[in-house]
Amino acid sequence: MNFFRIKSFFHHLFIPKEENNFRSKLLHFDFLSYYLLLALFLTFLFKNTPLSNILGYATDISIKKLYDLTNKERQKYNLSPLNYNEKLAEAAYKKALDMFNKNYWAHFGPNGETPWQFILRSGYQYEYAGENLAKNFLFSENVVSAWMNSNTHRENILRKDYTDIGFAVVNGTLNNEPTTLVVQMFGKPQENIFNLNRIKTQSLISKEEEQPKSNNLLNKPQILSKNEGQKKLSITYLLFNFNLSFVFILIMTLMLDFYFANKMGVLNLRLTGKNLAHLIFLLFIIIGLLIISRGAII
Amino acid sequence: MIKLFQKELKKHSLDYLLLFTSGIFFVLSLNLFRGERIIEFIILLSFISFYIIWGIYHHIIIDKFHFKIVLEYIMIGFILLFLLKIIILPQL
Repeated sequence: MNFFRIKSFFHHLFIPKEENNFRSKLLHFDFLSYYLLLALFLTFLFKNTPLSNILGYATDISIKKLYDLTNKERQKYNLSPLNYNEKLAEAAYKKALDMFNKNYWAHFGPNGETPWQFILRSGYQYEYAGENLAKNFLFSENVVSAWMNSNTHRENILRKDYTDIGFAVVNGTLNNEPTTLVVQMFGKPQENIFNLNRIKTQSLISKEEEQPKSNNLLNKPQILSKNEGQKKLSITYLLFNFNLSFVFILIMTLMLDFYFANKMGVLNLRLTGKNLAHLIFLLFIIIGLLIISRGAII
Repeated sequence: MIKLFQKELKKHSLDYLLLFTSGIFFVLSLNLFRGERIIEFIILLSFISFYIIWGIYHHIIIDKFHFKIVLEYIMIGFILLFLLKIIILPQL
């Protein structure tokens, strides 16, 4: 009895028939209004509510994950795992702050600041050093896979000379827009003080060691995490999957509606939008959503 | 099902070509400005606006224009605009 009631309920939702005026109930105006209200509610909810541990930034990047994924990539090539180094992490954090304060997105600052200066200032005397940058990614996996798909970044990750690594994931405002920056710094400490064979990985190394300048933080960026794992279920992750699932359900409903309406011969008799046009639109939206989840790297 | 889609595509090939072209532009522009949140949002808004205009234009051409149909395109467009805005610019 219950089975038939459930079956009839789902029929009513997905399959066009006389009871739902030959249009899947999920595509009726009342249901479209509910979706719109839900979307509006979520928009206002997340406008005023922190997303997981991040204030107002939709991202699910954790340093623990970035570190594990980087070492996993190295293990695939039989390379030794990198040790997490607090000094390199501090250098990465200072580099991210510098980019927000001076409003630039590059390996080298507008006044000639180099990544190596940040490393040296943090007290890490390196023999080899390197830097990878990423911005506005949604997930840690996407950051590492984007780096692995770029020759120069992959070279950095898979360089056998490195022994240490440090990360910073920092939120702030860059070019007047909310931005999440990921800075990855690699290094191998100097074993011999007389060994001056410092190697560049992205560009030239400056041997100057300036004193760090005081930070003038107008729009103080927020550090997301330093080296702690993110054990909470991320709201960004849930939202992203909710959006994907919603679009997939809409696509499935449109397809069923199109198929059965055509079978019943009512497709051209109904006063509705074109299912095929909606399907094309939704497919491009899914591709767009996947692109949006991937940010930029340099 | 595929045959049904092919039939519909053949019947209004120019209109659907226009929709496909705008979709490809949408995807290419998003890819070009990856990581630029405000530009991404503007691209999304443009694509959704085009989709609504396409809906109005197409139904005028096939002589099936009705306010109910326009509302359907507007509602689907805006539902997705708000849902994607939470991901792109949650704090605005």
